[in-house]
Amino acid sequence: MTALEVERVVAGYGAHDEILKGVNLHVDGGEIVVIIGPNGAGKSTLLRSIAGLLRPRSGQIRFAGEPIGGLAPRAVSRRGIAYVPQEGNVFASLSLQDNLEVSGWLDRAHWRARAAENIRRFPWLGARRHLAARSLSGGQRQTLAMAMGLMVHPSLLLLDEPSAGLSPKAAGELFDAIAAINAEGMTILMVEQNALEALRIAGRAYVLVDGGNARDGAAAQLAADPQVRRLFLGA
Amino acid sequence: MPASLTELLQLVLNGFMAGSVLALPAIGLTTIFAIRRYLNFSIAGHMSIGAYAGYVANVSLGWSSSAALVVAFLVAGVFGIVTDRLALRPVLRFGLTLVAVASIALNLVLENLVRFCFGNDIRSYDIAVARDWSLGPLRIGPQSFAALLIAAAIMLVLFLFLALTPLGKAMRAVGDNPVLADIKGIDPERIGSIATFTAMGLCGVGGMLLGLATSLDPELGFHVLLSVFAAAVVGGLGSIPGAVVGAMFIGVFEELSLLAVQPSYRSVMGFVAILLMLLLRPQGILGSGRS
Repeated sequence: MTALEVERVVAGYGAHDEILKGVNLHVDGGEIVVIIGPNGAGKSTLLRSIAGLLRPRSGQIRFAGEPIGGLAPRAVSRRGIAYVPQEGNVFASLSLQDNLEVSGWLDRAHWRARAAENIRRFPWLGARRHLAARSLSGGQRQTLAMAMGLMVHPSLLLLDEPSAGLSPKAAGELFDAIAAINAEGMTILMVEQNALEALRIAGRAYVLVDGGNARDGAAAQLAADPQVRRLFLGA
Repeated sequence: MPASLTELLQLVLNGFMAGSVLALPAIGLTTIFAIRRYLNFSIAGHMSIGAYAGYVANVSLGWSSSAALVVAFLVAGVFGIVTDRLALRPVLRFGLTLVAVASIALNLVLENLVRFCFGNDIRSYDIAVARDWSLGPLRIGPQSFAALLIAAAIMLVLFLFLALTPLGKAMRAVGDNPVLADIKGIDPERIGSIATFTAMGLCGVGGMLLGLATSLDPELGFHVLLSVFAAAVVGGLGSIPGAVVGAMFIGVFEELSLLAVQPSYRSVMGFVAILLMLLLRPQGILGSGRS
């Protein structure tokens, strides 16, 4: 069943600045879809448009059949979409425990239980639960951000460059964690520069170039495509 | 005890009591800055509004000073939300500096509203006059001491609220990162209104405590505005614990300055403290540096 549909979306930041020039995309329930492409292709802009941080100028964004384009971020969250930005994705001055609890604002009745659930999933969070998030390393911060996204048991998890700035080992562990979360039934749409690792765990992928669709298909197929390998996988 | 040491201890004691009253409006100023990202100098006018609302409850209606404090909180809080919506938010699109300038104008409006309703006469609350208590060679004014206890109790409740309750945590989250808070489903505008109500309510209580310790006039808040601003800057703009530490520092600093300068220069000490802090530690004692 299609969870998310993006049709001919045009969006940008300034009055005349078009970053997305008619992007199409769909995500089915339970799959991992990855978006790859060069810098400036509009990958993060697309996620920001879905999450409500950017109002599309035209086109349609539908989630579970309902239009969500132009809704405020909190309204998008209420529909069951959790967005994890690349930067500014934790509350730096709050403790890890408070970061988790606040992220469960939409389901406050269960926020302590959900925080405990996430601490079981990522045990190191428990040992550092009283530390301020600003004290975390890059990898720990990304893991916390993902755990925060899971606090409301979303139907769709949007991850923007989760491995940015991480060591290969930390990135590998993070991708394994994403695969494990998906194995529990979570639908995931992810933008990623580390295309090789991302295609390893994804079911399907889209290649965006200059604000438009360049390629799409099964992740394994794209990973084996010579042109994609040359342009985006450094092969 | 040598006279000079007694004098020093008395000044420090007076400073802590003065600082405890400054702490509430300083918390108000810094809370609004943390959540709304702008300086709202109309805290002084809201102190006067709260003080006179408490006066009406205490003197005109005959209510106890405790009940009058609640009235001061509520009336100043409601004024805070209304003036924020009508006078400051519409100016926001022109920039944060203009909001701060508009808040100075708003301050004058509020002061003159009080003057229009109550005149310029100096007034006082209906409370029993008591002699100062003696603690060895030191003297403590009962009203000032009560103000210190009330301010301390309010600050304790506020800290527990921010640390333990869902709404308090949401307020801290919005202060930290409003965009992320919005992504997490928290409405920054609603939280901002609650923060403004609470902050201006605290200014109202601070105004009444100041009036209890001294007397009431329409410029009651304006008299201490510089000290309150200095407390927030010294403590670290945006930091609530910083506002408390800054208020105590300014209270003691202003009192100790009496050893070196004439009492008429006391109010200048706020400027001196701001200048020193900006030179030595621009982010303030407990500030994060974001401000």
